[in-house]
Amino acid sequence: MKIDRRSFLGLGLGAAAGVTLSPMPWKLTDDSSIWSQNWPWTPVPNDGEITFEDTICTLCPGNCGISVKKVDGRAIKIEGKKGYPVNDGGICLHGISGLQYLYDPSRVQFPMVKSGDTWKQVSWDEAVALVAGKVKELRQKGMAESLACVSATDKGSVAGLYKRLLTSVGSQNFYTLETMEKSWEMLISRIHGLKAFASFDLANSDYVISFGAGFIEGWGSPVTNFIANSSRKERKAKLVQVEYRLSNTAASADTWLPAKPGTEADLALGICSAIISGNLYNAEFIKNAKDFEAFAKFVNEKYAPELVSRTTGIDASKIKAVASEFAKAKSPLAIAGRGKGESAGSLMEFAAVHALNCLTGNINKAGGFWTVERQDTLTWSSLEMDDSATKSYAKSPIGAVDSLVSGVSGSADAGVFSSVVSAVSNQVVTSASLTKLFEVINASEKSPVELLMVYNANPCFTLHNTKAVKAAVNKIPFVVSFSSYMDDTAQLADVILPSHTFLEMSQDIQSGASLAQNITAFSKPVAGPVFDTKHPGDAVIAIAKAVEGTVASSFPWENYQECLESIIGDSFATLSEEGYIASEFTPPAAPIVVDFSIFAGFKGITPLEGEAKSYPLTLMPIDTIRLASATFASSPFAVKTVEDTVLLENDTVIEINPETADKVGVSDGDYALITTPVGEAKVRVNLFDGIMPDVVAIPEGLGHTISGIGQVLRKDGTALTGKKGATSIITVTGGTSKNIGPLENRYIGGKGVNVNDLIGSVVDPASGLDAAWGIRARISKA
Amino acid sequence: MGFSMSELKKKTENSSSDTTEDEESGEQKTGVHCCDKKDKGDSGVGMGVLFFIASFAICFLSGWLLFPSLLYSKKEQPFNFNHALHVAETGGCESCHAFRDDGTFAGVPKNSACIECHESQLGETEDEAIFMTEYVEKGIEVPWHIYSKQPDCVFFSHAAHVTGAKMDCVTCHGHIGESTTMKPYQENRITGYSRDIWGENIWGVKKNSWDRMKMDDCAECHQEETGSKGACFQCHK
Amino acid sequence: MTQDNHGKAYKFGMVIDLDKCTGCGSCMVACMSENNVPFKEDETNKKDSITWMKVFKLTNGKPFPDTDICYMPRPCMHCGGKGDHGHSPCVSVCPATATDYGYDTGIVSQIYTRCFGCRYCMGACPYHARYFNWWDPKWPDGMEEYLSPSVSPRMRGVVEKCSFCYHRYQAARDRAYHEERRDNIEEGEYQTACTQACPAGAITFGDLNNPEHEVSKLVKPDTHQCGKPRNPKAFRLLERLQTNPKVYYISEREWVRKAGDNYRDGEWEKSK
Repeated sequence: MKIDRRSFLGLGLGAAAGVTLSPMPWKLTDDSSIWSQNWPWTPVPNDGEITFEDTICTLCPGNCGISVKKVDGRAIKIEGKKGYPVNDGGICLHGISGLQYLYDPSRVQFPMVKSGDTWKQVSWDEAVALVAGKVKELRQKGMAESLACVSATDKGSVAGLYKRLLTSVGSQNFYTLETMEKSWEMLISRIHGLKAFASFDLANSDYVISFGAGFIEGWGSPVTNFIANSSRKERKAKLVQVEYRLSNTAASADTWLPAKPGTEADLALGICSAIISGNLYNAEFIKNAKDFEAFAKFVNEKYAPELVSRTTGIDASKIKAVASEFAKAKSPLAIAGRGKGESAGSLMEFAAVHALNCLTGNINKAGGFWTVERQDTLTWSSLEMDDSATKSYAKSPIGAVDSLVSGVSGSADAGVFSSVVSAVSNQVVTSASLTKLFEVINASEKSPVELLMVYNANPCFTLHNTKAVKAAVNKIPFVVSFSSYMDDTAQLADVILPSHTFLEMSQDIQSGASLAQNITAFSKPVAGPVFDTKHPGDAVIAIAKAVEGTVASSFPWENYQECLESIIGDSFATLSEEGYIASEFTPPAAPIVVDFSIFAGFKGITPLEGEAKSYPLTLMPIDTIRLASATFASSPFAVKTVEDTVLLENDTVIEINPETADKVGVSDGDYALITTPVGEAKVRVNLFDGIMPDVVAIPEGLGHTISGIGQVLRKDGTALTGKKGATSIITVTGGTSKNIGPLENRYIGGKGVNVNDLIGSVVDPASGLDAAWGIRARISKA
Repeated sequence: MGFSMSELKKKTENSSSDTTEDEESGEQKTGVHCCDKKDKGDSGVGMGVLFFIASFAICFLSGWLLFPSLLYSKKEQPFNFNHALHVAETGGCESCHAFRDDGTFAGVPKNSACIECHESQLGETEDEAIFMTEYVEKGIEVPWHIYSKQPDCVFFSHAAHVTGAKMDCVTCHGHIGESTTMKPYQENRITGYSRDIWGENIWGVKKNSWDRMKMDDCAECHQEETGSKGACFQCHK
Repeated sequence: MTQDNHGKAYKFGMVIDLDKCTGCGSCMVACMSENNVPFKEDETNKKDSITWMKVFKLTNGKPFPDTDICYMPRPCMHCGGKGDHGHSPCVSVCPATATDYGYDTGIVSQIYTRCFGCRYCMGACPYHARYFNWWDPKWPDGMEEYLSPSVSPRMRGVVEKCSFCYHRYQAARDRAYHEERRDNIEEGEYQTACTQACPAGAITFGDLNNPEHEVSKLVKPDTHQCGKPRNPKAFRLLERLQTNPKVYYISEREWVRKAGDNYRDGEWEKSK
């Protein structure tokens, strides 16, 4: 038997024919084409029944109602809740991104204790015992007053529990962030003698003058304002924006008055002067006002439109025209609070603006300015304090400031006003200032604060002069963070007791930010918990119980839920069922008092830090709705929407007028070095015609640090790793490369410059609050 | 699958290679005689035919018989489900495979639907016992393998077909309602799809409308019923 | 291709009031969240940043203080093509039939599993509304949890773009069928995610073939001129290319309307 080439030929042909006539090649062709369309690593989301669950977004003080869309119980999207009084179906980009905050793997996933550069996982019991042990120790030493707590706000029951813990231990050191809300509150007490917060009925006003308020940049309740703004055309209402830069609000306004930064109050008084001299004010309303004659004389002498025109750069005729339109409008409203209003600002600026509201008398009426008395809807049971606590509590808070006239008294200009200390505010209000606290710590050899608790706040990012704030925080022997994220402050903490995100917890919410009605809302958990986190209220109750003694007995509830039910009382059932209770404002029964004596000695608003000679430019922080700049950092979605004229690669982009660029010698896209009395930073340059020459605008919300996180060890000793165990390299600001660890949020962290690294704090003598609204600066080509 | 195929080829080659190798080496040694061999006649053709037939038969048969069994992996359902029994008890497909209020089709029911009747064990079968102890009591959904599961890129509206076009379930799903046992689920090792999408017949021949669920089958019916195959977005996402 | 809509053809379109738009970005994020749009660590290179809905910032080019800006949200225009016959620029060039004109809805589809990534359509699209997946989408560990099953996540090497939230149309049809209304969909039943999210109410969406729908009332499309707006304040982008987009813009500001196309000297004045 011979086997030759033909045999092979036969073999091959036979195989080919056999295969061809079998289904194999045809089926394989079809299958492989399908295979090529589907990659196993492309996720396939599970399908199922679609449901919606409503809750409240607490990412900002706007507190919109949201509907969480779920598929088979899995939260997949957040939408605005239709019919909710705050936002009626509308929603901002941060609210929509809520699930990125929830599922974020860079969240603090379990309680951790820092040892050297490493974070070590501990159990909740251990973490609580550790914190309670420190508190107990301080109590035993009779040093309970060295306990302090920072919280974004003191509204609501969770913040209430933190405050209660401090009080029961014997400390008054409870600090909240200094925002425009505080300035307004202080001003209302000074001018109207009321203990109330400010509200603005923007949706019903037919003429709004905004003095730098980023009406649609996130000021107040953002979505409410968006809705009010877009109905303006139909309502035939006007918006006048006073701002040195063509912000989105200025662009959307009917009239843009580009007053030089820092002269907004002058302009307001100029308008007052025009209204008074034109006899356009509401004489009936003002007839009993204290020191109105003095105020009229003062503004007419010093702030006549012609004079103001020189300082502000706005034509006198324009000022008069606006004054006349404003005074003749049916419900005119003047608002203040720069940008998002996240800084306190200068109290006198608020006073100058509010003088306009006082002249028209559009106060506590539809479409006007409202003084809303704080409603204490929560009824706390009485609190027990033992001797040691009582003794410590008697000590005044660290960094206490007197929020009264200290800057005005003795001023020569007080002459025309009847008294320096006004009738309605002749009591000194002492409050604890967060800015002052950190100043005191830095000035002392040994930190007067032994233990700092940080809840729902990121002072190392949001406060001016972050370098000094961080130095102070580092000086505090024991820092406890309740943050859900490794934010700038949590990185410096000694122990982190991670809180649930807003989607994972129930809480009561007092909506107050610039709404025209009272809303008490109740949020409920709609997901998770995704990680080993706890309700911050439960964490405080657990700590109090572990401190034992009268502290424990001041917290008689098993858990937060029980506490909430007991302190909300009768309305709890309605709240948890309906989700919210809204009530229209009712004007106070007594006629409102107006006292102009605050203007005695008015010399303009708090000046900028730095002298003009070496710092010829003015650096102004600018807010954009697309970047979150308060406690929460922006989500990956939000950062994605940020224009490349704000953030480019990892560089902040500053905005200057082409004229300024020529003067300084930089062109579009150049690297530049920006120097202020407080710090310097390398940035890129964007030329924009809409900004006033000699002003530099720098975006807020960038420059979150991620460099201080280090290694994270689980209980079993294994290291927590980043995405699928990989570490990637990114360039951190400053040009050094660094390995990225597990809890580092690479979507916002390490990108750009924090404005607050460049701006220092300037304490307002009138309010005691940090009133810095910019700083002097210079730029050079880098 | 690619792996098994090459293995298959190797096997066929090896089976006939022993002799070949010997011959080859022999030929190389005596290269001169090579040409002479050619003259020696026709036995080579006969061998060629033989080889042709043999390899044809092997490849043809393995393509038809071996290939399908290698292409699909078999998975047993978690436990047997008697459709016929349930249809008789409940009255029809819709009592379990229902539409949700928003018009979406719920597909295979969840435990919560089952326990409306199966509060406690109703019968005495082992399968029901498994269902009750392993799934209901433990609160786990039954991980059924879905024979008619379409890939992620497909959107299928049951409402348009069942409510809109008044089609019955059998047209696409066959007589599954009359079955008393669940056949093993077969998954295509290359595509990850159920065998029922391509159909039981490996050549792709279908005798009944429910034999295949490929895009061409959708298009064929749409062409007949609506005069158009339909636009891509109608069924793809 | 004939209609597969029982004789009734929709022509879905969008009207965006540029004077109401504040550039807040809610539409962009609502779209990303609705359509499983991925994100990268660095999204500042806007050429490779996938944004089905993108808000552009326009300026009037005048120096301070006469400067003005306008934000312009740009979804896919769902062009009807020349003569509004469905020959959209992208559809005409796709060699794979991965993008297709739906005659029953007027929506231009994009089928990811069909696309092989030649990017002809991107070159053909005058609006830069199409995006290429240069990388596989990657979600941080655990974030895949929020992905929606209604829209397939894409893979590396395919082109994607706005679909007018087609899956919402399908969901609305499902409901209509279920309620035995056939495909009789109410105006409010099918709205895109961006329309729903816009807090300023700047976006309106509906059927341009239905004179009762808000979109028709706003722009008064001229059916004899392939839907050209009869409202003098309304315009479409690059009208002269005869792509016949189904996205209309409205603005009281003349410079904004002028920015919607290129004009030779004196041409704009004449066109008014």
